[in-house]
Amino acid sequence: MDRAGQRESTMATSKLTVHPSAARAAGVPARQDDLALVERCRRGDLGAFEELYRAHAGRLYSVALRLAGNAADAEDLLQEIFLAAHRKLETFRGESALGTWLYRLATNLCLDHLRSRAGRSSQVTDSIEDEAALLDRSSGGLADRTVSRMDLERALARLPDGCRAAFVLHDVEGLEHREVAAILGIAEGTSKSQVHKARLKLRALLQARS
Amino acid sequence: MGCAGYRQAIQELVDGTLAPIRAAELDRHLDRCAGCRAFEADIRRIRDLAASLDHPAPPDGVWLQIAGRLRQEGRVRPPPPLDRSRQSRYAILGIAAALVAAVGASLVLLLPFLRSDPSTEAGAGGAAQQGVPAGNAAAGEPVQGIEDHFRIAEQHMQAGIAKLEEAARADETVMDPQTAAMLRKNLELIDLAIAESRAALKSEPQSIVARDSLFSALRRKVALLQDTIALMNEMRKGDAAGAAQIMEGLNKS
Repeated sequence: MDRAGQRESTMATSKLTVHPSAARAAGVPARQDDLALVERCRRGDLGAFEELYRAHAGRLYSVALRLAGNAADAEDLLQEIFLAAHRKLETFRGESALGTWLYRLATNLCLDHLRSRAGRSSQVTDSIEDEAALLDRSSGGLADRTVSRMDLERALARLPDGCRAAFVLHDVEGLEHREVAAILGIAEGTSKSQVHKARLKLRALLQARS
Repeated sequence: MGCAGYRQAIQELVDGTLAPIRAAELDRHLDRCAGCRAFEADIRRIRDLAASLDHPAPPDGVWLQIAGRLRQEGRVRPPPPLDRSRQSRYAILGIAAALVAAVGASLVLLLPFLRSDPSTEAGAGGAAQQGVPAGNAAAGEPVQGIEDHFRIAEQHMQAGIAKLEEAARADETVMDPQTAAMLRKNLELIDLAIAESRAALKSEPQSIVARDSLFSALRRKVALLQDTIALMNEMRKGDAAGAAQIMEGLNKS
């Protein structure tokens, strides 16, 4: 298959919403101390759950804030995330790391929140505009421009929900593509293409801002 | 192959996931192509900027709300009994607070003797007429003796306050930073009032107003420290309603 065909194939698979093997493929099991902490939480130990909260709330709030786009919704979502986590502790089997499990729960709740806000049907990934068009528009690049963190935050808020989620998890939170894929329930290749497209879109938005 | 064909490879190069053979091929192209070099620089810039974005801390009250809901829904066990070392610490605090309250109460008895003319025997001897029990140091003593009692009473009060401050500092981490900062600020204001009253007493040792002001400030400090410790206790238990009630009282004072 030539390069053009490979690109078409990547764009088609980016529309898949669920990859059945993605969750298992993430593969890093929970550590013993995570399992012990979860067990204490299951037995109703509030102090243990507070430990869990203190360990993970910062990162999950950061994800909620960048997906929801405002602090008030992010605060409500954070509460929901941890209340849901407590309810679902029985389902945590240790097949993935506790952090990955929490990220998945958090991202799903955030995306559900966005879907209900927008009133559209769910699709974890987004078919943002044609990659070639994005490349054409941003051919000038950012070379001579000052781009601040605030500029990036504003541009990030304008990305479609699905690819914003992939970008936030990979480029902002530093997760690997296999972890992002497990969290979003997509293939690793789809995670890569979503992040790549998000970067192209951000580049175009940042260039247009100037 | 045109430049568009290298764009995905460039992204993978930036991520460090491009296979070595492909990376070598891409490097040769980048050596010749300014457009692709600029594209690589932009993608790196976006990725590096994203990695440097702040991770804002969640608001302080979120945990209290979560804990409150879990308790309301009966999904957590009640807190275990305090361990012995905590129990003895709170016993000490109780004694310190009682000591401070007792000293404070005794001052209330002593103050009237200085409100009458402290420079006359009649004023000092008024203590006996006001029914101060026999054996009480104030009865019939000269003014200097009464001032010594005030000084001793102030020392006792300060000792009790020191114990309360020690306990408050030991458990400070259970409070959110905003609340801790507010309480510290309130304590600083009271300490300022104490310092001003002491300065006034130093220049006018007989001043009833300065003495009243000093002991009023000391009593306020005791009350604030006691409320602080009670608030820490509620926060440790995850009792959002209890903590909120104490905070309301603190905000009003």
